[in-house]
Amino acid sequence: MKIITTLPLSVAAALLLTTAAGAQTPAKEGTVAARTTNGVANWTTYNADLKGSRYSPLDQINAGNFGNLEIAWRFKTDILGSRPEYKLESTPLAVDGIIYTTGGTRRAVVALNGATGELLWQFALHEGKRSAESPRALSGRGLSYWTDGTKRRILYVTIGYRLVSLDADTGRPDPEFGENGVVDLKKDFDQDLGDLDTGEVGVHSAPAVSGNTIIIGAAFREGFTPKTHNNTKGYVRAFDVRTGKRMWTFHTVPKPGEFGYDSWLNKSADVNGNTGVWTQVSVDEELGLAYLAVESPTSDFFGGKRPGNNLFGNSLVAVDLKTGDRKWHFQLIHHEIWDLDNSSAPLLMDVTVDGKPRKVVGLPSKQGFFYVFDRATGVPVWPIKETKVPKGNVPGEWYSPTQPIPSKPPVYSRNGYLESDLIDFTPELKKKALELTSKYQLGPVYTPPIVSTPEKFGVINNWAQGGTNWPGGSFDPETGIAYVYACGTCISSTGLQPPPPGLSDIPLVVGVAGQPVTMIKGPGEGAGADSPAVAPAPGAGSGPPRLAVDGLPLMKPPYGTISAIDVNNGTIKWQIAHGETPDFVRNHPVIKAMGGIPRTGQATYQIGTLVTKTLVIAGENQFTTTPDHPRGAMLRAYDKQTGKEVGAVFMPSTQSGSPMTYMIGGKQYIIVPTSGGNSSGEFIAYALPGKK
Amino acid sequence: MRALLLMIPVALAGAAFAQEAGKSVWQGIYTVEQADRGAGVYAQRCGACHGAALNGTGEAPPLIGGEFVSHWDTMTVGDLYDRVRTTMPQNDPQSLSREDYADVLAFLLKTNGFPAGSQPLDKRSEVLATIGITAEKPAGM
Repeated sequence: MKIITTLPLSVAAALLLTTAAGAQTPAKEGTVAARTTNGVANWTTYNADLKGSRYSPLDQINAGNFGNLEIAWRFKTDILGSRPEYKLESTPLAVDGIIYTTGGTRRAVVALNGATGELLWQFALHEGKRSAESPRALSGRGLSYWTDGTKRRILYVTIGYRLVSLDADTGRPDPEFGENGVVDLKKDFDQDLGDLDTGEVGVHSAPAVSGNTIIIGAAFREGFTPKTHNNTKGYVRAFDVRTGKRMWTFHTVPKPGEFGYDSWLNKSADVNGNTGVWTQVSVDEELGLAYLAVESPTSDFFGGKRPGNNLFGNSLVAVDLKTGDRKWHFQLIHHEIWDLDNSSAPLLMDVTVDGKPRKVVGLPSKQGFFYVFDRATGVPVWPIKETKVPKGNVPGEWYSPTQPIPSKPPVYSRNGYLESDLIDFTPELKKKALELTSKYQLGPVYTPPIVSTPEKFGVINNWAQGGTNWPGGSFDPETGIAYVYACGTCISSTGLQPPPPGLSDIPLVVGVAGQPVTMIKGPGEGAGADSPAVAPAPGAGSGPPRLAVDGLPLMKPPYGTISAIDVNNGTIKWQIAHGETPDFVRNHPVIKAMGGIPRTGQATYQIGTLVTKTLVIAGENQFTTTPDHPRGAMLRAYDKQTGKEVGAVFMPSTQSGSPMTYMIGGKQYIIVPTSGGNSSGEFIAYALPGKK
Repeated sequence: MRALLLMIPVALAGAAFAQEAGKSVWQGIYTVEQADRGAGVYAQRCGACHGAALNGTGEAPPLIGGEFVSHWDTMTVGDLYDRVRTTMPQNDPQSLSREDYADVLAFLLKTNGFPAGSQPLDKRSEVLATIGITAEKPAGM
C-alpha cells in the first residue's frame, strides 16, 4: 500500500488567500449542520444531513433566475487514477468554503476551493491487488466530515475497504486514528475473510458520522451469477471517530442464538452471505438511532440455499447508535428473489398525520412502494398488509406465501408489467409488442423468476434497475413532502439457468436458454485503477430479441418520473416525467406522424434530486440533441408545490451523481457530478452571473 | 504569438483531409468483411459484458438501438473510436490493435443499420474524426 498526498497547501492558508473565505465559525461536536453565516452555507454530509433530506434552505438561485445559471468552474477527475472514469457518482461536501470529494478510478480524495475549483490537496491510497480485486471500484459516492470544534477530519472508505481519516486542512492521515490514519475494515469483522487482498467486500457509500461514531456498511459482487452462496456476510460496524477502534457490530445475518437466526431454515444463516448495507445510513441524533436499509442475501434471483424469510435481509433496522443493539426492524420483502434490495437512504421526516406530530422514517424502493414507519417504534404509520403473492415453480426454490404491501402512499413507480403497460402509440406497435412478449413472462409486482426456456426466455421486470436506486429520495423538512425520482421502464428480462461447471455452487444463476452462462460483473468491478487484464470470453451466438418494437421502447411512457409524496397524508401530491424525450423516440417516424407526444422522461436509474427553499432540482442522465440545444443534457428546476418546470440550464455532459448546493461569499453554487458517453468524470459548478 | 504558431500545424493537418470533411456515417464508411471480422473480436472481447446480441448486461449498456445511436448523435466516428480504444475492454483498455478496434466499430455500425461500402474504416482517430455521426439519415443520402 502506497500513500500519495500531493499539494499539502493547508486549507487554512487557502482560505486566507481567497476572497471566498468564510469565517471558521465554532461548531458543535459531530457534523456541522447546514447554516448560513457570514455568507457561507455548508453541505456537510452526503445527503446534506444525517436525516437524508438532500435539502438546503438557500434561495438565491430560484425560479426567477434559474435559467440564467452559468458554469462557475469545472473540475475534471481524469488525473485521479490510472485511467479516466465514466461513472462519477460522488456528491461533494462543502465546509466553510472548501469542497471535499472523492473522484477518479483511484477513488482519490481532493479538497477544492469552492469559489474557483482550484485543487488544494489530494490524497490517495495505491492498494494494488486489493483494489483490483474489490467488488466496488471507482470513485464511490463520497466521503464524510467530522469536527469537535478543533480537529477537522475527512473520512472515507478506499476501494480496497480501508477506512481512512485525513486532516481536513492538509489531507494528511491522522496518526491517532487506526494505524497511521487507516483502519483495515477486512479485519475485526466477526468473520474470517481469508486472504485480505481477495476477501470479498467493499463499499461505495460515504460513512455515516454522528457524534463520536462512524457507521460503515458493506457491499459485494453483483448477485446475478455469484461464485458461491457462502460469501462474505454484510455486517454493519461502528468505529470511534478519534481512534478508529471498533465500537460495535450488527450481524445482518444473525449468528446462532441471535434473534432472527431461526428465520433461516436448516441453519442456512451459517452458509449464506451478502445482506449488507450498501446504501447510505441515516441517523436520528435525538433518538440515538441509526437506520440500516439492509440488502438481499445471496443470490439475487435464487434463494434455494437459504429457505425461510432470511432476517435481516431486505429489512429496515433501527439500531442504537451507541451499542448497535436492535431497537426494531421491519422486513419489507420476505425471502427476496427479485434483486429488489433496499437501495435508498432512509428519510427521517417530521410530519403531521391526522393532526398529530409524528417522527417517521420513509423508505423509497426499487419496487415503487414508499414505506412509512414511526421511527421510534417501527410501527407502520399506515397499514402494511401481508398480501398473498404467486408461488413460482423454480426447482429447489423456497417461496414466501405473502409479502408486505403498503396501503398508503400509493405506488409511485411501475413495479410490474402487464399487457396494458405495452407501447400503444399505434395498434400495429401494440400488436408487435404482444408478439414479442409472447416469448417472455409478464406479471405484477413479486411475479417470481422462472427458469429460462426457448419458449419463455425470462420475466420482463424492473427488478435490478427500476424504481428508486442508489440515489434515493429527498425531502423538505419544513413541509413533510418527499421528492423521489424513479425509473418506470428500466426493464430487462430475467431467467435462470444452471451454471457451467466451476462458475458457481448455486444450482441456478441468471442466464438465457440457448446462451452460454457467463459471469456478470457488477458496478465498476474490474474497472478500477489497478485492475489487470482477464482472459477473453468465449464467443456466443445470437441472443433473444431486444425489448423494443420498431426501435421504440417496449413499454409506454413515462420512462422516468419525479414524484412529490406528501408524507403528512400518504398521497402523491404531483408526479412529472423528468427528462427530455429521448431523440430516438422524439424523431421516430411514428411519433412525428402523431405530431409529437408529451415529454416522456428517460429510462435511467442514476438520478438524485436536490431540494432548496423553493425548488426541486435534477439533471438528465441521457444526451439529447433538440431544436433548443446542441448535444448535451439539461439541469432542470421544478416548483416544489406544483412540479411545474420553472427553469433549465444546459450541461455539456450528463448528471451521473446527485447534485448539491452551498454558499460562499454570499454566492450560491450548485455542483453537478457528470459523466457518460465520451465525457469522463467532471464536477460542474453553476452560479448566477456577476453576483459576488 | 505562441498560440498562433501552435495553430498553424493544426490548420495544415486539417487541410490534408479537407476532402474528407463533411463525410457521414451514412455514406458507407466500412466494409462487410471488416464488420464480420469485428463480430469475431466482439464475441471474444466485448460480448461477456455487452451481451451476445449487444443488448447490454448488468452495468454494461446496450450497443444497439436508438439510445445508443442518439447518445452519439452529432459526434464523430473518431470520438466513438477513441472512447472504445482508450477505455475498453473496461478491465484492459488499449489492449487490442487499432485494426481490431476499427473492425469492432465496423461491426457496431453494421449492427445499428449504417450502410456498408467499399472502403474499410480507417484506423486513425484523426481521419475518423472527420466522419460525422447523425442518428437520422440526412436528406439526399
